[in-house]
Amino acid sequence: MKHRIDEAGVWNNNHIIEIVNLFKVYRGGVDVKALDNINLVIEEGEFLAIVGPSGSGKSTLLNMIGLLDTPTSGKILLKGIDITQISADERARLRNRELGFVFQYHHLLPEFTALENVMMPMLIAGVKKEEARATALQFLEDVGLGDRINSRPNQLSGGQNQRVAVARALANHPSVVIGDELTGNLDTKTSDLIYDLLRKLNKKINQTFILVTHDTELAEKTDRILRIVDGKLVCEMRREGDRFVSTEVCQTAEAE
Amino acid sequence: MNSRFELFVAMRHIKSRRRQTLLAVGAVTLAVAFTIISRASINGFEEVLLSIVFKMVPHVVISPKDGEDYIYLYRTLVESLQATSGVIAVSPMLISAATLSHEDGVQNVALCGTLPRELDRMSGIGSQSMLAGDLDSIQGGLRIVISKEVAEDLDLKLGDGLEASFPDAHSMNLVVCGIFDTGVEWDELAFVSLETAREFVGEGDVVTEIQVKLQDIYQADSLVARIRSQGYRADSWQRLFPEILRTIRLESVSNSLIMSLILIISAFGIANVMNMLVLEKTGEIGMLMSMGASSRQVLRLFLLESGILGLSGGLLGCLLGYVSSLYLNSLNLAFSSPAGQTINLPFLIGLQDLAAYLTFALILSLAAGLYPARRASRLDPIEAMRS
Ligand SMILES: Nc1ncnc2c1ncn2[C@@H]1O[C@H](COP(=O)(O)OP(=O)(O)OP(=O)(O)O)[C@@H](O)[C@H]1O
Ligand SMILES: [Mg+2]
Repeated sequence: MKHRIDEAGVWNNNHIIEIVNLFKVYRGGVDVKALDNINLVIEEGEFLAIVGPSGSGKSTLLNMIGLLDTPTSGKILLKGIDITQISADERARLRNRELGFVFQYHHLLPEFTALENVMMPMLIAGVKKEEARATALQFLEDVGLGDRINSRPNQLSGGQNQRVAVARALANHPSVVIGDELTGNLDTKTSDLIYDLLRKLNKKINQTFILVTHDTELAEKTDRILRIVDGKLVCEMRREGDRFVSTEVCQTAEAE
Repeated sequence: MNSRFELFVAMRHIKSRRRQTLLAVGAVTLAVAFTIISRASINGFEEVLLSIVFKMVPHVVISPKDGEDYIYLYRTLVESLQATSGVIAVSPMLISAATLSHEDGVQNVALCGTLPRELDRMSGIGSQSMLAGDLDSIQGGLRIVISKEVAEDLDLKLGDGLEASFPDAHSMNLVVCGIFDTGVEWDELAFVSLETAREFVGEGDVVTEIQVKLQDIYQADSLVARIRSQGYRADSWQRLFPEILRTIRLESVSNSLIMSLILIISAFGIANVMNMLVLEKTGEIGMLMSMGASSRQVLRLFLLESGILGLSGGLLGCLLGYVSSLYLNSLNLAFSSPAGQTINLPFLIGLQDLAAYLTFALILSLAAGLYPARRASRLDPIEAMRS
């Protein structure tokens, strides 16, 4: 892994993700500026929420961070590696080892059971089946689905599938977990269960979480909230004890 | 290479898409089975062809050393050949051109001095092709066995006399003691005893050629090499009768072409199923890629899948084809030969044929899967997931 020197000239390998002047323009009949000059640093072990109105570019940003889409211009550094410059194979490897993704729509493989779906990232990584099975079983129990491991996605409810997807994103012990509305279909109790699980992992193995959510209650449990409007990062709030403090970015945005 | 993941997903596709799997495997099974049955009949036909022809022709013909007209020490050579394993018959011959005349008719023939027992073992003429008289009686001296055609041309019957003559030869009167008909055009041959032939050409105890028949016709080349090393000229049946080999090869080539075509068509079945699969699974391929499956893994997954389909079809086809060939063989299907005999057509299939077609089916199915697999491996994860 590359160690980088930040602006202050200090060694800093704490920045797990660094986004510099990121633009994404969807070209079509009309050009849509989905991301408009995003600059963002995420530190290892952060528990972060991204909020914003529908169509503001939240999923687009997550897709960029998740190595699923490529920016129109700008840079994304993951653990110091510029992911816009690396080969497709290397991107696949990073997706598999460093990232866990929960999509806005759960996206499970319909022909495989819940257990097999959770095993899949590990199998891709070449983990032995028995080992993958044991890990998958543990995560499914953690999300409260220990009794449904052999059900297929079409035999599970929306919320249950979402929890399978969470277990799958966690399965390979990625350094960054990206969730797009991962509690969208869950009741408060299950939502709390998932939050507690993620928080526990965050504390225990310093996993970084980036969650897009419309759920203010969930957002307020995180350490930092980013607000995106029209593809621009307009507001950033950091937790200080029990309160959130708006940063300058936010105040300038609000002042405009 | 670790392909557990690819195998896992490929097997699940195969199991959960029964109808398409059945279609792809079925197409290959039928094509391979059909190909094998037809190969078996061609093999059988070749066998029949070879056995008919090889009953009559020598497999190796030995001629005098360079610059000599005769094989002088032929008895030693015959003895050593007879002691060679795999040799069925050794027939020394003293052959000379001769003009046969009877009343107003004349006919040129190759007058062959021969040992009737050996000649019979060589060609079956004595025991199977005699219309009248018998071959052995030429041993009585001054007797001749002629073909049906010569008998008709010269208006000869059993017991009639004829005159054999040739420039530089001693003319002699011979009595017809046998007439043969082999069904093929051997009309220019006439047989006499070795002694009679010697008298005709005015030579001592010599022959002009020695014909050899072998248990295994493909042993001919090695025997030829051995004889040549002793200074004699020798040729194998492949050299002597190139048209036999050509017929068999031609048959094989055109047959192989048709069979390959059938197998290729069946491979389109796999290509079609794989194409549908990739179309149907585009979203899921995107998902796998988003979980970190590399394009190489996706390529391998789909190649593996078409390989498995092809291999299962190939194995089932081999089984079906083999069992069918055994069954057809047991029916003893008959057809008539050009010479009018009824011959059973055997169905013969060897392990090497099965292995060859299995390999061919596998390679073809991999080739058929290549295009869809490449397309799958080049999908963009996010685009694919949107579909
Ligand atoms: N493939 C695409 N082609 C064209 N435009 C796109 C594409 N994907 C997204 N967009 C546009 O980019 C903008 C941002 O979309 P995005 O999906 O990131 O929004 P979002 O913040 O996730 O919204 P939501 O909260 O509704 O999920 C939207 O205007 C959307 O229409
Ligand atoms: Mg979205």
